[in-house]
Amino acid sequence: MLARARQSINYRDLLYNLVVRDLKVRYKHSVLGFFWSLLNPLLLTAVFSFVFSALLRNNTYPMYNVFFLSALLPWNWCATSVATTLGSIVNNGHLIKKVYFPREMLPVSLVLSNMINYLLSLPALFFFMLVFRPEGVGSPFSATCATACINGHLLLFPILIVTQMLFLLGLGFFVAALNVFFRDTSVLVEVGLNAWFFLTPIIYDAKTVAKEYTNLLYYLNPMASIIANYRDIFYYNDPNSPDPLFMLRTLITSAIIFALGYLFFMRFSRNFGEEV
Amino acid sequence: MSPFAVKTYQDDEAASVTPDDSEAKGATGSGNGTVEAATEETRKVHPHSPSRYKVIKFSKVSKRFILHHERARSFQDIVVSLFGLRTLSRQGVAMPRPSTEEFWALRDANFSIYKGESIGIVGENGSGKSTTLKLISRILEPTSGSVSVRGKVSALLELGTGFHPELTGRENIYLNGSLLGLSRKEMASRYQAVVDFSELAEFIDTPIKHYSSGMVMRLGFAIAINVDPDILLTDEVLAVGDEAFQRKCLEHIAELRKRGVTIVFVSHALEAVRSTCQRAIWLDHGKVIADGPSGEVIDRYLAYENEKHAERLRADHDGTGRGVARPDPLTYDEVNMEQEIDEPLDQNELPPEDRSRAVPDAPGSRWTTGEVAITDVRFIGVEGGETALFKTEEPFTLRIFYKADRRLVKPVFGVALYTENGTQINGPNTRFGGLDIPAIEGTGYVDYHVDKLPLLTGRYDVTVAVTGSEMTDIYDHQHRAYSFAVQPTPGLSERYGLVFIPSEWSFHPGAEATE
Repeated sequence: MLARARQSINYRDLLYNLVVRDLKVRYKHSVLGFFWSLLNPLLLTAVFSFVFSALLRNNTYPMYNVFFLSALLPWNWCATSVATTLGSIVNNGHLIKKVYFPREMLPVSLVLSNMINYLLSLPALFFFMLVFRPEGVGSPFSATCATACINGHLLLFPILIVTQMLFLLGLGFFVAALNVFFRDTSVLVEVGLNAWFFLTPIIYDAKTVAKEYTNLLYYLNPMASIIANYRDIFYYNDPNSPDPLFMLRTLITSAIIFALGYLFFMRFSRNFGEEV
Repeated sequence: MSPFAVKTYQDDEAASVTPDDSEAKGATGSGNGTVEAATEETRKVHPHSPSRYKVIKFSKVSKRFILHHERARSFQDIVVSLFGLRTLSRQGVAMPRPSTEEFWALRDANFSIYKGESIGIVGENGSGKSTTLKLISRILEPTSGSVSVRGKVSALLELGTGFHPELTGRENIYLNGSLLGLSRKEMASRYQAVVDFSELAEFIDTPIKHYSSGMVMRLGFAIAINVDPDILLTDEVLAVGDEAFQRKCLEHIAELRKRGVTIVFVSHALEAVRSTCQRAIWLDHGKVIADGPSGEVIDRYLAYENEKHAERLRADHDGTGRGVARPDPLTYDEVNMEQEIDEPLDQNELPPEDRSRAVPDAPGSRWTTGEVAITDVRFIGVEGGETALFKTEEPFTLRIFYKADRRLVKPVFGVALYTENGTQINGPNTRFGGLDIPAIEGTGYVDYHVDKLPLLTGRYDVTVAVTGSEMTDIYDHQHRAYSFAVQPTPGLSERYGLVFIPSEWSFHPGAEATE
């Protein structure tokens, strides 16, 4: 285990190069470059805001833009990570069969490049927090601010990033390895991602779910907890949130998923060379 | 020890390779120049190893592949197999389970490779050569046994692997270097050498997708040899770029060898193995058959191959009673030949698929008018009997049977011998040989006789042809359509190259070069 870790350090430049390659290739051919990664969530936000605020006249969530975007952006990180790590081993079969390098670098690099993409899309969220403030919500910096405030809670953001990263790595390891042996995984995951989007409190809030399902949602879907945490620091501003214990539980769950996913990946990666 | 050592020996084992120890081993093994089946003795103390420092060690390595005839890759199959059920077809009939077959690419292979050695691995297709390379490079893991590798391995298995078409040459150099385990800093110091070697300086900021395949290969090769490997694995990839570049590659490999890089070379080009490697390992069906000085291993391997080939030829003879023509899918069908009698063959008029058949260089291709044809070719050996197996310095006769439907005045019969890889050795004909054939009509044969066959061990192809008196109008030309094998002659120890040239050596001590 220790030897593996040491080896991974030797290959850290590979990780760097893979992440850079992924980002470069992604933006190389579009005129708008990384602005595409801003445009997509902005369009979705416009649509959902219109549906909720104008069509349904639902005013439960003031500043629905921030409410939605603070959940959609991390969700996008999750969805793109799962969708890309899924094929990370199979699609790089030509490499796996010809060169030895720590195979875990492939899924890890994708989770990281998608994370960078996520971080780059955050300005969109801050844009809504700062600019689109209806009357009565007050300044985002004032002490009386009730919604979408910019205050000390934001310092917890890195912890959430680590939490989500661990979760996505664990999940990525699992689906990437599974897909090598059962190609149906990719089809199932595609369907699953759609269902998962609606089963995760993104367009709604976990707190408004029927009581008997709230806990089930949190227990079965780590993304629900992670997104609830993001909302606690970006959207809500009440005395009970963010709850440190809840954050810690989420972090521990993610760490366990990471460890299990890694072990699963390691267990099967020795056969990748002949199975891809 | 290199920081890139990925698998290391147990400490005590590594420590056991002390100078004293190796000297003792060397003493028992020196002079052991004969090839034996890979016994413990020959493996441990190889007289040709430049160093006693083991860099690769295979101990009882086996590798099994499961060949899935019908892969269980859907969840349905998995669930079904989990519950021990059989898949039910629509009619409720149990379907047979997907059949699997085991294939052992390597079986209990034992050998060690020492630092600085150049090793050739020879054997037929499917004998486990490529599996061995992949085990060394850790792409595959052994099913049982252990593979220990010390040092950084660079594989020339498929050049340009890992290049991304959208990235520029420069970006790909760094990406590829890091795939091979180098840091960006290490790569930066080698960058210029890679660019210089690849001769691609002016295209280095162009995306790889605009490169020609030769350029990609050149860049790949330049990276692979400039990462300062401790062990270099190559798999017949030296056919890179033009001849000048190939020579440069070979020179560079020779230089790496001088620097003490261990080279493992898998090839069908036996002569290349003979000239580049001191030692060779012969694998057959996953087992080490011989391990020793490359010349001797290759001779044994060739002798075995020739024997097998000869057996096959004999079997062919018995089966058909006809010549020793190799299976020649490129020969014109009888139907086509009918038409071509009255109209001369014009390649441009042929439909594309036929044109490809008419490629004159393809082994086994035939070009004939049908009026005068070579009906059979037989090889006659030392006792006047038909054979396809000769020995160096033995008499050799090639008997060409012909059939002429009309009278042909002053025909010329020609023969050409080729090596297996297509190099022409000679091209005699009856006119050069001073044999005047006034005319032929009906059937008969022409003999081409060699008193002492000068060819060394190997397999050779034969072209036969019959032309008109000026050798311009060809009546029948069968390109490399027949083959025979040559085995070593007992008592004749020359074995390098193609031919045996009778010669003498003399010794003059004390003399000085005048002038």
